[in-house]
Order: sequence, then C-alpha cells, then structure tokens
Amino acid sequence: MTEANVSKSQISPVHSVRGAQTNGWARVQQVLRRLLLSEYFVLYLSIIYFLMLWPFIPRIASPQNLGNIFSNMWPLLAVAIGQTFVLIVAGIDLSQSSIMALVSVIGAAIMTTQLDPVLFEKSPLWGVLYTATGSPLAGTLLALPVALLAMMGVGALIGLWNGTAVARLKTPPFMVTLVGMMFFSAAAIYLTKSENIIHLPDAYIALGQGQISFVPYSFFIVGALAIAAQWLLSRTVLGRWFYAVGTNMRTAIVSGVPVTRVIITAYVLSGFFAAVGSIFYSARLAAGRPTLGSSLLLDVVGATVIGGTSLMGGKGKILWTVFGVLFFVLLDNSLNLLNLSFFWVQIVKGSVILLAAGLDVARTRLTARS
Amino acid sequence: MNTNRRTLQLVLQNTPYILFVVVFLIFGLLSPRFFTVQAAETILKQASYIGIVAVGMTFVILTGGIDLSVGSNMYVSAAVAGLLMQNLKAPVWLGLLVCLGVGVIFGLVNAFLITKLKIVPFIATLGTMVAGKGVGLLFSQSIQIPFPDSVLQLGSTRLFGIVPLPIVIFGLVVLAAHLVLTMTPIGRRIYAVGNDADAAQKAGLQVDRVLATVYIASGLLAALGGFVSVAQQGVVHPGFGEGYEFNAIAAVVLGGTSLFGGLGTVFPGTVLGAVLIQMIQTGLIFTKVDIYMQPLITAAIILFAILLDAFRNTQLQKLRRRNIRTDKDIAAGAVSSA
Amino acid sequence: MNDSILTFENIDKSFFGVPVLKDISFQLPRGQVLGLVGENGAGKSTLMNLVGGVVPLDSGRMLLDGNPYTPRGPSDASAAGVAFIHQELNLFTNLSIAENIFINGFPRFHWLPMLNRTAMRTQTRQFLDAVDLPVSPDTLVEKLSPGERQLAEIAKALSFNARLIIFDEPTTSLTARETERLFALIERLRSDGASIVYISHILTDVMRLADEIVVLRDGEVVGHGRKEEFSVGRMISLMVGRDIQQLYPPRTAQATDRPALEVRGVSQPGIVDKIDFTLYKGETLGVFGLMGSGRTELARILFGMDGCEEGEIAIDGVVQSKLSPRHCIDTGLAFVTENRREEGLLMDISISNNIGLVALPHYASSTFTPLHEQRLNGQIDEVVGSLKIKVSDVRRQAVKTLSGGNQQKAVIGKWLLRNPQVLIVDEPTRGVDVGAKYEIYTILAQLAAEGTGVLFISSELDELMGVCDRILVMGNGEVQAIFSRSEFDKERILRAAFREQVTS
Repeated sequence: MTEANVSKSQISPVHSVRGAQTNGWARVQQVLRRLLLSEYFVLYLSIIYFLMLWPFIPRIASPQNLGNIFSNMWPLLAVAIGQTFVLIVAGIDLSQSSIMALVSVIGAAIMTTQLDPVLFEKSPLWGVLYTATGSPLAGTLLALPVALLAMMGVGALIGLWNGTAVARLKTPPFMVTLVGMMFFSAAAIYLTKSENIIHLPDAYIALGQGQISFVPYSFFIVGALAIAAQWLLSRTVLGRWFYAVGTNMRTAIVSGVPVTRVIITAYVLSGFFAAVGSIFYSARLAAGRPTLGSSLLLDVVGATVIGGTSLMGGKGKILWTVFGVLFFVLLDNSLNLLNLSFFWVQIVKGSVILLAAGLDVARTRLTARS
Repeated sequence: MNTNRRTLQLVLQNTPYILFVVVFLIFGLLSPRFFTVQAAETILKQASYIGIVAVGMTFVILTGGIDLSVGSNMYVSAAVAGLLMQNLKAPVWLGLLVCLGVGVIFGLVNAFLITKLKIVPFIATLGTMVAGKGVGLLFSQSIQIPFPDSVLQLGSTRLFGIVPLPIVIFGLVVLAAHLVLTMTPIGRRIYAVGNDADAAQKAGLQVDRVLATVYIASGLLAALGGFVSVAQQGVVHPGFGEGYEFNAIAAVVLGGTSLFGGLGTVFPGTVLGAVLIQMIQTGLIFTKVDIYMQPLITAAIILFAILLDAFRNTQLQKLRRRNIRTDKDIAAGAVSSA
Repeated sequence: MNDSILTFENIDKSFFGVPVLKDISFQLPRGQVLGLVGENGAGKSTLMNLVGGVVPLDSGRMLLDGNPYTPRGPSDASAAGVAFIHQELNLFTNLSIAENIFINGFPRFHWLPMLNRTAMRTQTRQFLDAVDLPVSPDTLVEKLSPGERQLAEIAKALSFNARLIIFDEPTTSLTARETERLFALIERLRSDGASIVYISHILTDVMRLADEIVVLRDGEVVGHGRKEEFSVGRMISLMVGRDIQQLYPPRTAQATDRPALEVRGVSQPGIVDKIDFTLYKGETLGVFGLMGSGRTELARILFGMDGCEEGEIAIDGVVQSKLSPRHCIDTGLAFVTENRREEGLLMDISISNNIGLVALPHYASSTFTPLHEQRLNGQIDEVVGSLKIKVSDVRRQAVKTLSGGNQQKAVIGKWLLRNPQVLIVDEPTRGVDVGAKYEIYTILAQLAAEGTGVLFISSELDELMGVCDRILVMGNGEVQAIFSRSEFDKERILRAAFREQVTS
C-alpha cells in the first residue's frame, strides 16, 4: 500500500502537465469505476456479451435457445443462493457439488421402482433401502414427499457438519469443504457402486421437466426461494447478523451476535439449497447420479463471485447472484453453440473464475479508496 | 504445571509419529504381508512421486497458502514432455527439461495471480487448475500419450542395483528442500512470512518475492513428480493427475505442517506424511477393502488430520495470548531454569 | 545544538483528510536522548512512523546527517541506520533470536547461499551481551517473555549499527525490574554514541532519561528545549494546552450505594488474580494501570469474552451463571472496547446499521421475522441526535468516513439503545481530538447521572482524575489500591501502579 501511494504521488504531477488529456482520461476512469461498482455491472456485461455474439451465432436469439437459457438458470441459481449465504459470512462451500450428488442418490434410492440386481446387488443399500422392486415406499403416495424431505434434510445436515467444523472447530472453510467434497462424493459413489439409479416416479421427473406454457416449474419454486432468501438477508435480524459476521467477526462477537450459530446457519442454508438444486438437476436427468454436479462447482462459485458477492465476506445480494447466474448460463450456452471442445470450455471457465476473483479484488480496492 | 495439559501438548507435537505407528500396526495386524521388505519398497516407490509434489506443497503451505493446481500441472507438463519425446523424438533430457519448464510456468502464473493481482491462493490455483487442465487436453486432444521406453527403463532402474531410482530422486529432493528450508536465507524467510506476513512486510522483507518463490518451487516439483510417476507407468492418460492435489495436501498436513503457516518440516514431516498416505492406500488394497470404500477412508483420515491441525492451532493461540507474568511465575521460572 | 542527526523541515501529514502533523520543524540532537511527549493522537507515533519509513510524508522533508532522507519502506530506514522499536514488537515467534536478528541479511557461508550459523551465533551473542540478555542465540522467540523480546528487538537494532534508535512506549509490557534494565541499556547506548528518541506518556521516565524534550499537541510542536527547562507540570500544561479544570465537564452525577456490578475473587492464572471491587449505580469508577497490568484483560473477562477459572460476578445484584457477551448484554452490561476499528465497528457498513447492531433482537419477535425498521430507525436517529454525531446520511454513510471522535460516539451509541446498567469503556478517548474528548466525557457523565455505573479504563491518569469518583489501580494482574476522590494524588496513584510501597 505504501509503495502504491508513493508511486501515485509521483505520477500525478506528470498527468497534470498533460492538461486536457488528463480530464478526458479522468472522466473515462470515473465512468469505468462507476460501471465496475454498479449493482448491474454483470447484467450489462451479459447483455453486451449477448449482443456481441448475436451476429456470429444468430441461433443464440432463437426462441428455443432463449427458452433454454431461461430454464437452465433456475437450478443453478438455487445452488448459488446457498453459496451466497456462505460467502457473505466470509466462508466458502466447495462441498456443494458433492452434496448434490449424494442427495440425488439418496432421493432416487427412496423413490425408485425397479433396480437391476446385477448392478446393485453389491451396493451397501441393497436390502436396506431397496431391492429389485425398488424401495419399500416405491409406488406409494409417500415416496415423493419422503424423498424430497430426505434430500433437503441430508443437504442441511451436511451443511450443519461443515458449519460446525468452521465455526466451532475453527477449520479453514475452503479446506474442510474441499475434503468434504472428496468424502461425500466418494460416499455417493460407494452407495451406488458408481451406477445411476433410474425408474423414478413421473411426478418427480415432472419437477425437472414440466412447464406451464414455456415457463418451467423450477422458475416458480426457485424464484420464490430467491425472494425469500433476499427477504431474509435484507429484512430480518439474521440477515443483518450474516453481514456483521462477514464484515468483522470480532466486532460481531463484542456486539453480542451469536457468531457460531450464524455461521452454522449459513452453511446449513448452503447445504439445503444445494439439495434443492440437486432435485431439479436429477429430476431433469430422471436419475439419481453419483457424479451429479461434479462439473458445477466452478459455475456456482464463479457465478456468485462475478455477480458481486465478495470472497472477503460481508457483501452480497441474491439479485447480484441472479445476474451472475445469468452470465454463466449464457456463457455455457454460447460455448455450446460455438461447438467448442471440452478443453476450451474448461479454459474459458477457469479464466472466468480468475476474472471474477480479480474483479472482486478491484472492487474492494475501489470502495476502500472512496 | 498441569500433567493433562503437558500430555496433550506432547501428543499434539508428535501426532505424525503416533499416526504413522498406529496405521502401520493396524494394517500389519490385518495383513501380515504388510510387514515384508517387498511391501515397504512398493510403498516407498509409490510414495516417491506424490512425496516430491508434497515437498513443493510444503513450501506453499508453510507460507499459509495452498496450491490446488499441482494435479493439472503434473498432467500438462508430462503431456507436453511426452508429445515432445514421442512425436519430435526429443532426447530424454530435453523432455525432462521442458517438463520442468512447463511446471515453472504454472508456478509463475500462480505467483502472478497471487502477488500481483492479490487473488486469494485457493481461488487463484483453483482457476489455474481448471484452465490448465483444459490447456493440457488441448495439447493432447484427450489421447493417451506414451513415454518412450528409455524413460520407462529409467523408471525401473536401481541405483547400485538396490535402490529404485524414483526413491533416490525423492530422497534427493527431500535433502535439497530440507537444506533450503533450514540452512538458507530464503528458507528462513518462508517461515517468517508464514508466521506473520504483516510483520514480515514491516521488517522490510520482500514478501511477494518469497511467495513467488514458493509457488514456483511447487510448480517445478509438481512437474518433476509427474515425470517420475509417468516414468513408472509408461503413459500419460487423460485423467492423470486428477485428485493428486488432495494426496499432496494430505501428505503435508498429515506430516504435521500447519495449514495456518509458519510451522512444519519437509523432513521428517512431509516424508512421513507422504509415506503414511501411501501406506494407507496400499494397506487398503492389501486388506482387500471394497475399492469404493477406499476413497471414503482416505478422505476421512485427511479430514481427521485437518481437524487436528485446527485444534492444535487454537491451542497454540491460547498459549500465545498475552500472559501477565506474575512475580510468582518469574520466581518459579528462575528456579526451574537454575 | 548545532550538531543534529535528523532535521525535520515543515513536515505535513494527514490521514483520510484529517491533518495529523502540521508544519513540524525541529532537530534531533546527535548522541543524546530526545524525549517526545504528547497526548494520544498528538502525532508522536505518526512522526516517528515517517522516520521509520512506515508511512510516507505528504510535504516537507527530512535530513539525515544533512542529506535528504526519504525512506520508502522500513528496510530503507534500517539501511540508513534508523531502528524503530515498536510498541507491538516485530519478531517472528517461530524463529530463533539469531534468525530474527539477521532476517534481512543473513551472513553467508563463503560463496554458498547457505547461512553461516557459526557467524550468526557469535555475532548474536555479542549483541545479546550488549543488551544484557543471557540466553542462547538459538532460543526460539516464542520462549521469551515480553521484556526479553524487547531486548532481543534492541539487539536487532544493534546488528545493523543503528545510529538512531526510536523507542515507542517501550515500557508498557515490562515489569519494574525489566524497565530498570532497559533504562540502563539506553544510557549505555547513548554513551556509545547512539542518538535516541524516547516516546512515552510516563513523564517521570522522560524526565529521567532525556537530554532534550519535544512536546507535541494536535500535530504541532508546542515546546522544545533542554530537559532542565521542563518539569512534569510544565510538560502537562503544554501537552494539554489549557487549564485542567476546563478539560472535563462538571460532575453532576451522584454515586448511590446500590451496587451495579460486584466482582468477587475473579482469577484467571497468568492474567488476573483475585479481583475484588464493587461499582455502584451512578458511579464512575476509573481503572488505571500500565499496559500489561491486566486492565483490558479484566474487562474482557467481565464481559464474558475470555473465561475465568474462579470468582463471581453479579450485575444489579444477580450473580451471573454463565458468561458470554450475549448473556452479559442481556443482563445490562455494555462494553466499549479499546480498538474501535477492530472490535467496535463494522467500518464498511452504515452508521445506522452499526448503531442498531447490539439491539437488533429487540426489534423483531424472532431471528427469522422482519425487523420493525421504523421503530429501530427512530431510536437510532434519537441516539445520533442526542450524541451529536456529525453525519450527512445516517442510513447510507459508511462509519469509516466519520472522524475519530464521531466514530467513538457511534460505538457508545450502539450500547445506548439498550439502556445499560453497567457501561465498561476502555480507552474511550484514544485517537480522539480534544473537543470530542470533552463531548465523550459529557456523555459518560450524563449516563452516570441517569444511574448507570461506568467503569472507565484508561492509561491517562489525568483523564481519570478529571472524571472519576474513585480510581482502582491495577498492576501485575492484581488490584493494587483503590483511591476515592479526596485521596486523588498523581504520585501516589502512579506509585501504586508501579507497585511501589504506598506510603500514606
């Protein structure tokens, strides 16, 4: 910081010599700065990106593709909302993708109506949760609600574990959730011997695939959850506490904020929302898949951070995350349309997360200076 | 002053040894084959490449950072070297040199992101991990790349007809790293930065240069580890290196190096950790544990090591908290030191 | 006086637009000890930070040995032979003393990039001998006591032949015996030709050590001369700049005989020992002690932030069953911590949200239900108004944009929403200008008049004597003495703090 100050004071006289040019440059700087700090920055970015691609891939604006983009947003948003809570309390949850996988397997195991003994006989759940004719609940009216509750419950429980490890045991969040990712995805694979569980009830599949005219069910459910999440953050005591803990934990402790409980709640919400995302993703696949979501980790963290929620904590909004998710879904869609190979997709996504993190640093510095 | 506290402290200081012995005994009792020289050699040989990577990771973690990109790095550098040797018939020494060069580039990129753009290490290296893997697959077009037979022969050579070459290389790396950390200025400064980066800045240390050094070292050693590994297996398959960052981090943490920085050793620490993690994996195979169960157990053990590290860190912080030394304490101290 | 090692010429420096140093010009005598005194926030540390290369100056210049001196960082300063012994020591606890001493330039083993441990040891032993610290050069710093660490830091200064050594409040965490050792060492350094700047607010120490004295007030030099021209009294009146009586508001509160806070036998090994006292409603009880006496630690225990192994704490007659900040707040305790940036405020968040933070749960029926924002905001506005916090937009302006005094008022404000029974304030006027100090004293007096018990912790004795009904003196983690207002006597209180025999 000290060096930066020195060099700045050395540069500024040079600028003033250039006179008029300085004014123009200063104005550009100011506009750029305002743009960068704007709440809608990523929305603008998405629109510009879309308009830029339009001439090259006209298909991107076809009604069908726009419908795709629209319906792809909601499952990802569900997961990203959970991540937003954790980032606000200055944590991170890298285990979300493994929660999705494990939860999809558990939910499917409860609902499935038929299993191939050759594939599943050796699975540890065989004879416990299911047999060749599916689970004991298969086909009953109870199957769907029990499965959904179990999925969300397990998600929340894993969140409870993560939160406890972070808040009570003082483990670094990225480390404990990284190893959690390893553990829970291994668990999902172990439970199914790496096989997909299919033959799920139609009602469940409809959750992922059903639409009212062109609007998917997921829009209504995740939309409502998003509004609830934003309401929680901006209107309730808990919301204020989230920001306080993320901004300065020590001040929060002195001010009587139940810091441990607040942090644990954030991780529980993260697990819960990962499970909600998992419901839509696995319903769309019509299967419980032990590797579900394994490629989504970057999308979730990237979308949340590029939206404007800070990795350093204390700053974030659900609306920002919505924009970030829009950007990522658009990016994904365009890379698909461009028919880019898997390697390019990886290169682009890796770079985008670096860009998002760089933006976060730049924004933080800009606000600190003003 | 308090026996319980003393015991606790003793246990916390020596967890790597205790874990090592316990795991060794458990597997040994479950499978007598585990106690043979043959088994020991297999474990050491397989521990060597992950050990080399873990040595680099130790440098990074000692500064309080992390390098998640080592797995991708291993893949890319080995793939490039393989292509060079296979398609352009480059000699082995050139292949190795280029391999190490690619590793250094990885390290440079990480160092740039972390010291210049000030991106937190785990996000920066997460980004290079994903993007780097993409670049590697772009080069290889997702096709297996074989290493020439001459390299494979090297991989199975024994020094003086006794010690397998990979183990020798691991030994040399450990020796060099140990000397650097304990005997050179940069080594001591790595510990200083890990202890308190702000204080280091205030003391006039070039913190950025220290950080750049550790990420470059990690990149270099990851590439070397990748080369040594492929020299044993013969081909670089598209999944090569995936998840190896976990094993490397696990080896470092199991070896008693703290994720909070400033505390830990390459020797004996990381060496013990690397052998321990390999011992667990080999042990699980020897005792015929369900292959789907194995990663679960490995993850659980790593988790245990991390929780233990966090616990040790909070204990240390409690000890470090400012104590007002009463006259009684001072008198007691004078007596005990006399 | 014509031989000076360092010259300041028209130095200006401001932080966040607030001028801290205004047109400072004076010379440091060579080979002598200069005592630099002034109230907290007078600019002493900032001035020395300029010299130590910690912060750059805004305008003016410094001359070292007659040559322009522009350190761009601490390493430039040490290269120029300037050593700065900070209040918070700058040692790496995981390294040995020898390694700490040579961290910036290790002796090499011939041409190899290896440490020459033998050379390090021999040289370190010399430096340790020079500072009279009889331990092995290989001792890890974490094994040293605060006083020993201080000596190690001075040994480090000796290692690069420092010609100018700055001590910033060096005795705060030292025992009386260690302090004596340090003073002897400073005398020795001076007779060996080193120039020394000694910053302290223990004025008797300054009188004893210094050859020359500079007094700063509000960023300006208000007195400079040979020691013989000064007395402690003169230094104080220069530092304060006005008559003591005007500095504190009239005391209107009347202490009652109903206890607000009772502390019985509170002990925590190594921190505090058998603390006993009672704070009455409407009373302002001062807690005086040197740094490291346990005063802040005691406050943290009372507020449930750090545990205590023994003892009993009662608030308003109710014995506390469990100690946690939340619980203490619910039973009517409030705590204004000593460092508002780290523990008092959420710097990036609005003034309104800062002031509302403590009382939040009382403005909603549960954690998950909506806040009664109108009612909360009404209360906040009332507090902002009554405390006269100068602010343009309470809802949106980040608290970090406020001046030090207004920030401190915001910290007090967030506790007022809960009408506390007991208010603990720790160094509430640190880094606050004189005008704002008066306002803060007035606010505290007002609270006492309304029946709140105020526990006023401070390292500035004058301040405590100006506002308190009684003063409790801490030293070595114990209550050394309690003085009632009629017994207030600076020397006796200081003697008690230094744990010398109080002769009555």
